[in-house]
Amino acid sequence: MDWTRYGEEGIRIVFGSTINTDVHEKVRQYYFFLRSLHLKEIIDIIPSFTTCIICFDSRLTSFSALVSLLKEKERDLSQMEIPAPATHTIPVMYGGQYGPDMEFVCSYAGLSADEVVEIHSGIVYTVFAVGFMPGFPYMGTLDKRLFVPRLETPRLKVNEGSVGVAQFQTGIYSFESPGGWRIIGKTDVKLFDHTAPPYSLLKIGDHVRFVPA
Amino acid sequence: MIEVINPAWLSMVVDGGRFGHADIGVPSSSVLDRYSYTALCSLLGYAADIPVLEIMGHDFSFRVSTDLSCAITGAQVTAFVDNMPVIPWSVFRIKAGSTIRVKEVTEGLRYYLGFSGIIDAAKVAGSYTTNLECRFGGYFGRPFLKGDRITLKDVRVPDKRTVDGSLIPSMKAPHTLRVIDGEEGDRFSPETLKTLFENDGDPWYKVSTKANRTGIRLEGRPLEFRKGVEQSIISEGILPGVVQIPGDGQPIIVLYERTIGGYARIGHVIKADRDLLAHLRPLDGVRFQRIGPEEAERLWDEKMARYYDMLPK
Repeated sequence: MDWTRYGEEGIRIVFGSTINTDVHEKVRQYYFFLRSLHLKEIIDIIPSFTTCIICFDSRLTSFSALVSLLKEKERDLSQMEIPAPATHTIPVMYGGQYGPDMEFVCSYAGLSADEVVEIHSGIVYTVFAVGFMPGFPYMGTLDKRLFVPRLETPRLKVNEGSVGVAQFQTGIYSFESPGGWRIIGKTDVKLFDHTAPPYSLLKIGDHVRFVPA
Repeated sequence: MIEVINPAWLSMVVDGGRFGHADIGVPSSSVLDRYSYTALCSLLGYAADIPVLEIMGHDFSFRVSTDLSCAITGAQVTAFVDNMPVIPWSVFRIKAGSTIRVKEVTEGLRYYLGFSGIIDAAKVAGSYTTNLECRFGGYFGRPFLKGDRITLKDVRVPDKRTVDGSLIPSMKAPHTLRVIDGEEGDRFSPETLKTLFENDGDPWYKVSTKANRTGIRLEGRPLEFRKGVEQSIISEGILPGVVQIPGDGQPIIVLYERTIGGYARIGHVIKADRDLLAHLRPLDGVRFQRIGPEEAERLWDEKMARYYDMLPK
């Protein structure tokens, strides 16, 4: 683990330099550890593929004081119980009007649409991070046969619920927004509900399985 | 009751920010100029976060149907109650039936309007601020439109406070933004860093028209990556003020609507200069100056002592 300052009010903790499940598990464990402390000094925690970013309240603490406090508390880390990941099944309407990039993915991968659907829905994905927009899951790892580059020019409008792929990842647009992932389908499942906690359907570490609808 | 006659270019409800949910991608969407916001709350006699209006563009106007008090801070404006000029950064009283109009913005970009009552806005995940992209919080999750009616709760009569002129910050272009080192600074050549940081003459960057609450894009000399280095990074958490360099080499300053980013980070705009980001207008010149983290902390303490602590209590 490597600790560095991140701007004036941030701490960046690096758990590894490549994306894999070991690094992810460390990030996830540390994220739940940080949450369990309920420190008022910590304003926000952003866990992702290889790092945890902490945003702290500089009126209450400083970079060095918070780092020492966390290092001291870390002794309890091994005894901490990490919540088990939840598993979600998400129905997807693949292709056609719901998946404007299905044809591209098929031709790029040299596969039929049925094969793309079978491969994409045949894996249980792990949520590596939630962000970009509220509730948007960055999930991996995609089957290598479906690795495709992002759009060179992002679309100005991607519909809410769109299921996309980009390089080794798959994700779901939780809101309508601009975006550059290749869209192969759409789900009606609501990923973010601002009216009630916990707001986001998915959290880091959760497992997701897509089923053709 | 307040009726919006002209919502100007963009007006919306904001507050100190939505915190504690960045782990599920919820950005703070906070007020962009925190100092002007703090001054506004303190003028109106509120210690805690209250919802206020963040407005861009001239001709914002509204009519009130009850007697109340108001104040305007942020960008320098000329404003009128009916035909009487209003002194910005001061509390002023308005009578039922009056019309308030902000005629023009003379310096800076965003101005803030607060009332002597709490705007009846939607509180989502602990904050009144509007998330425009996802359409929640604030006034039905959207900017104001002509004819909208704003209801106030707990209207009171505040003292006639004023903020001393020496406490009103300058927002004149060109702007110098001080930054501390970013995580991927070593991916750029020394000449490129020099382009960015050692520039006392004409600014090399201009604010592009592609600037909004998510980020400010700059245009100028493209920053060049060292040959053979990876240009993007594994996406990770970002905080306001991060200066990102995408493949085209044109800097983007991250504001308050994103929690994760994937571009190389060349610096972090220091906290003491972050309020100024609210006032960068398209075509304004921007310079960067590189300083150390201790210096940044010192400048923040100085700003607190010189500005924040001097506001009326």
